[in-house]
Amino acid sequence: MLYDLNIAWSPSTTQSELTQTLKFSASLGYNAVALNHLVEIFPPQPKNPLPRFPSQTSQSRPTTKSAASTNDSGNKEDKNAQQNQNQTGDDRSLPTVLHRATVCMSDPASVHRIPQLATLYDIVAVRPTTEKEFSHACQEVKIEVASLISLDLTQKFPFHFRPKPCMAAVSRGLRFEVCYGQTLRAGAGDPRTRAIWIGNLMELVRATRGRGIVVSSEARRVTELRGPADVVNLLAVWGLAAEKGMEGLGVNPRGVVVNEGINRRGYRGVVDIVQVAARDNGEGATAAAAGGNGKKRKGGANEGRGGGNSNAPPADGTISKRQAKKLKKLAMEDGGTTTPEENKS
Amino acid sequence: MVRIKERYLLVNILYPSEIGVKPGVPDVVVINQPTTDRLTPQALLRGIRAEVADTFGDFGSGALEGGGLQVKYLSNATSTFILRITRAQYRMLWTALTFMDHVPVKDGKPCTFRVVHVSGTIRKVEEAAIRHARNLMFAVKDQAGEKDRAALEAMFDQAKRTRQAARAVMPTPLNVEDDSGDEDMIDISDDWK
Repeated sequence: MLYDLNIAWSPSTTQSELTQTLKFSASLGYNAVALNHLVEIFPPQPKNPLPRFPSQTSQSRPTTKSAASTNDSGNKEDKNAQQNQNQTGDDRSLPTVLHRATVCMSDPASVHRIPQLATLYDIVAVRPTTEKEFSHACQEVKIEVASLISLDLTQKFPFHFRPKPCMAAVSRGLRFEVCYGQTLRAGAGDPRTRAIWIGNLMELVRATRGRGIVVSSEARRVTELRGPADVVNLLAVWGLAAEKGMEGLGVNPRGVVVNEGINRRGYRGVVDIVQVAARDNGEGATAAAAGGNGKKRKGGANEGRGGGNSNAPPADGTISKRQAKKLKKLAMEDGGTTTPEENKS
Repeated sequence: MVRIKERYLLVNILYPSEIGVKPGVPDVVVINQPTTDRLTPQALLRGIRAEVADTFGDFGSGALEGGGLQVKYLSNATSTFILRITRAQYRMLWTALTFMDHVPVKDGKPCTFRVVHVSGTIRKVEEAAIRHARNLMFAVKDQAGEKDRAALEAMFDQAKRTRQAARAVMPTPLNVEDDSGDEDMIDISDDWK
């Protein structure tokens, strides 16, 4: 599974552009992408303006499904599943789409209000710009609040990334996000930005030793997407080892998505409901009856086989054919090898 | 005997910015559309050298000169080419390809270069190219087939509605055949992805 946790979205992005980007991302081999909404000024009443896609219903918001506990819940869920299958079947060209918010930490008041976003988005990230914000993000922002530290590597940071806060963040479960789209975009504009991006990336890789890095695109246009192998090579040239780069596209973002999912669905991020067993009495009875029938039939078949095979031991019907053969072989070998010894002794 | 180690890169030119512009054409066809005939091996080399010089400066240009960069194969119809470079420099070349965002001719279309396969011998890279092209064919057939099937199903639905009483079961054998054929295609295209 390959993830791209940052497809840039702004209110001016049109639906057709977005579909284009998503389709190309799927054809490059990405299985799940996240639309990113950059929250620069925290609104008094946060809303999720990101557009929904049909394939989304199958994965996100599973709470509504498990909440249904009426008598015919089984039927309902079956229908839901079928619908989802149909939808995903129609839209196989689209990857799984998640929603993500990135909060700029420049406004100190907004940091306390980040938890409000948890119910609206699938993933929440923070974007620090100064040293104070960076160390706050690394050491104090809880993993339940935000699981990604997204860095705008095109700006010159007034401080150095030091290993201690970086590794503290990684060991707490936070991940650093590196967006290669920024450097592809930078080529056209100011030539210095690409140099700054490379410098920042090298420093970050040195500080974290390549651990806990999530690689994503931050593509504003479809031409800013690249294939996974190309991205890994790009980062390998700038110092992130190829296997670490692969982790940044597969394992690490998966950890982020799963973690955020469990935080939202499960109990205190520890216990999660994977599947609810059917509770209907009538259904249970029929199932039991079916099971009984199955058992009976199985028994009957065994008996039949036992009757046909005259050599089989009649007492234990549970013994499998394979086991019986093994026993027989053992017995023969024993008979062949031990009897002469016995004779000798 | 000492021999120079080389790397062959199999590269595809993709045109993602035209997805959805022509409604009837499958996306795979649009993305892998043919490249303009104005793209010659010389033009391609010039474009790559310029990009390397832009990204890596004189050091990069020099390394490429010494690395014996060559275009071994260029097919405009399938938008595929094979490059040869010494092993020490192939990542640099690859990076330059990643940074390129349009066809390196005058008024070139926006495109992306995707390295599909990297190998040490030209035989393997050729095999990979053939395999890739085959899978692409299957993917196109799959997408086109899906459309046909949808059209067929719509027709059958209409037929059902008009003479609903007697033979509602009739289309099933046809459908089954269709489904099995389609599943095969889906498997192959999934492998390719």
